[in-house]
Amino acid sequence: MKISTPNCDNCVFTEELGRDFNIRQKSQGLAASIKNFIRPSYKLVEAVRSLSMRIGFGEIVGFLGPNGAGKTTTLKMLSGLLFPSRGKLEVLGHSPFSREREFLSQISLVMGQKQNLWWDLPPIETFEIHRSIYNLDEKDFRGRIEELIDMLEISDCLETQTRKLSLGQRMRCELAVSLLHRPKVLFLDEPTIGLDILMQKKIRKFLLDYHARFKPTILLTSHYMDDVAALAKRVIVINNGLKIYDGLLSDLTEKMQPEKIITVILNSETFPKIEIPNVNIVSQESNLFRLKAPRENVGKLAAALYNTGLTIDLTIEDTPLEDIIGNLFTEKSNFQQFRTNV
Amino acid sequence: MLHLKAHAAILKAYLKIMLTYRGMMILHLFRVVLMPLVIAAAWLSIEKADGNPYENSDYLLYYLLVPLVMNLTNSRSVFRFPVSVRDGTLSRELIKPYPPLMNIVIESFTNNLQMLLYLVPFTLISVFLFQSHFDFSFLSYKMVPISILAIFFGALTRLLISGSIALTGFWLEDVTTLNLLLNGSIWALLGGMIIPVATFPEKIRQIAELLPYRYMLSFPIEIFSGRLTTLAIYKGFAVMFFWIIIFSFTARFIWKRGIKIYSAYGG
Ligand SMILES: Nc1ncnc2c1ncn2[C@@H]1O[C@H](COP(=O)(O)OP(=O)(O)O)[C@@H](O)[C@H]1O
Ligand SMILES: [Mg+2]
Repeated sequence: MKISTPNCDNCVFTEELGRDFNIRQKSQGLAASIKNFIRPSYKLVEAVRSLSMRIGFGEIVGFLGPNGAGKTTTLKMLSGLLFPSRGKLEVLGHSPFSREREFLSQISLVMGQKQNLWWDLPPIETFEIHRSIYNLDEKDFRGRIEELIDMLEISDCLETQTRKLSLGQRMRCELAVSLLHRPKVLFLDEPTIGLDILMQKKIRKFLLDYHARFKPTILLTSHYMDDVAALAKRVIVINNGLKIYDGLLSDLTEKMQPEKIITVILNSETFPKIEIPNVNIVSQESNLFRLKAPRENVGKLAAALYNTGLTIDLTIEDTPLEDIIGNLFTEKSNFQQFRTNV
Repeated sequence: MLHLKAHAAILKAYLKIMLTYRGMMILHLFRVVLMPLVIAAAWLSIEKADGNPYENSDYLLYYLLVPLVMNLTNSRSVFRFPVSVRDGTLSRELIKPYPPLMNIVIESFTNNLQMLLYLVPFTLISVFLFQSHFDFSFLSYKMVPISILAIFFGALTRLLISGSIALTGFWLEDVTTLNLLLNGSIWALLGGMIIPVATFPEKIRQIAELLPYRYMLSFPIEIFSGRLTTLAIYKGFAVMFFWIIIFSFTARFIWKRGIKIYSAYGG
C-alpha cells in the first residue's frame, strides 16, 4: 500500500480512514453453540467509520471521546499495528502498516504500562536492549538517559525488577524507554490512567517540558479532561468512529460553555438584590450560594457582590470539561448548531 | 546484519530471566529424557526382526543422542505465538524496528541452550556408564561438524514448520491440536522418535526420507553414527533445503495474511 505524499507539511494525514472488527458471536445453549461452531456468525463493529485529519509537525493534539469511540483503534492504525479497512493514511510520509525501519525508528506508542518495559528485568536493562534495537550510539544514549532520569525523577527505580515497581514508577520508566530514541511522533494512549492526582500532574508537567525541549508531535488520548486541557491546544473529538469536532480547545469551551459557575459565601442567608441580567441561583446551603451567569457578566457580578459588603468568599469556575464534552454527545441538536457556527 | 547487537542483547536478557526462574526446566527435562529412555529399554528387550540393521549397541547410541538432538531442534513458538496474538502482546514487537517474531525464536533458543546444561552431563555420564555396550568403530570425528550442521538446519526446518502452524494462531483460537497432529504425532512416528528411521521397512523409509520430519531428529544421529554414505548425506541435505524453502514461503504467506486481520487487542 504505497501512497504518494499529499502534503509534506503534515506529520499525520488521514482521509476517510476506517477500521472494522469482525466479532464472533457467542451463543447460548448447546444446540446454538453447535450451530455456531459449524457456521460461526459474526458481527461487524465499525470501530472507526471515517476519519479525516491533518496534524502538523510539533503539534500536540488531544483525542477526546467516550469509551468505545475509536480513539485507541485510531492510534493503533497510525502506529502501524492495525491494517486499515478503508481510507488513506500517512504518518511522517510513510504508510504505517508497511512498518519500515525508518518509520518505526521515529515513532513511539505508549499504551498501558507494559508496552515496552521487560516485566522480569529492571528498567535499566530494558534501556540497554532498546539501545541495541534502535542502534543508538553510546554517547547519545548516556546523555539521553541522564536527561530522562532527571526529568522523570526515576533514578531510584532503575535497578528494581519492573514487576515490583509501583504504577507511577512504571509509567514514568515506560515513558523514558519510549523516548530514548527521541521519536518524532509520540502516540500516548491514556498515559495517566490509574495514577493518583499528584502523579498525573507530574506526568503532565514532564510531557510539557519534554515537548518544549524537543518538539515532537504528540497525539494523546485520555479520559481525564485535565490531561487534555493541560497539554493540548487542539482537540479532536470523536464519537462512534466519527469526528465531531476538530479545533481549539478554547473555542470548544467558549462556545459550549457560555456560563460560568460562581460560588459565594455571604454573611447573610438572604441573597442581595443585584441588577445584573441572567444570573441564576442554582443552589443554596445556608449562606453558601451557587450561581450561574453568562461569561460576559461574571466580572460585573463579582464586583457587585463585593460592593454589597456581604461577601466573605467568592470563587469563579468553568463548567467541568467532562460536562462540556458530555453535552457534545447528549445535546446533539444543540451541538449540531454549534458546529455549523464554527 | 543490522540486528546482531539486538539479538545478542535479547539473548542475554532471556538467559538472565531463565536463570532466575529455573523450576520449569526440571519438568521439561523429564519429558526430553524419560521418553527416549523408555523407548530404548523397549527396543533392547525385544527380539530384532531379520534384516534390521540396528543391533543393541546401535539402539543404545541412538536413544542416548535423541534427547540432545530433540532438545536442540525443539521450538516452542507454537505455544508462545498464539498467546501473543490473543492477548495483544504481539503489538509490543510490531512497534519496534526489529523482526517481530525474533523474540520468540530467541526465547525458545535460550530454553534449548539451558537444557544443555543438564543434557550434556547426562549424556556424558550415560556414555561412560554404558561404554562397554557400545560399538565405537563406526564413529569418526569428521562426522561431528556435519552432524552439527544437520542439527542446525534440522532446527531451522522444525522452526519453520512449527512457526507456520503457530502463525495460524491469527485465525485459530487453539493451534495445539493442529500442532499435535502435524508436528507432534507424525514427527514421533516418521521422525525417528519411536522407531529409528533407518530400521523402517524399505517403502516407508523411502517416504520418511522425503518428508521433513526425519531431518529434525533421525538424520543428524544417523550422520553422527557413521551409518550414512556421502551420497545419502548430500541427498538428505538437499531434501532438507527443499523443505526449508517451502516452509519459508509458507510462513511468509501466512504472516502477510494474518497480520492484516490482527486486531491488536488490548490497550
Ligand atoms: N481488537 C478488537 N476486537 C474487536 N473489537 C474491538 C477491538 N478493539 C476495539 N474494538 C471495538 O471497537 C470500538 C472502538 O474501540 P476503541 O478504539 O478501543 O475505543 P476507545 O479507545 O475510544 O475507547 C469499541 O466498540 C470496541 O469494542
Ligand atoms: Mg481506548
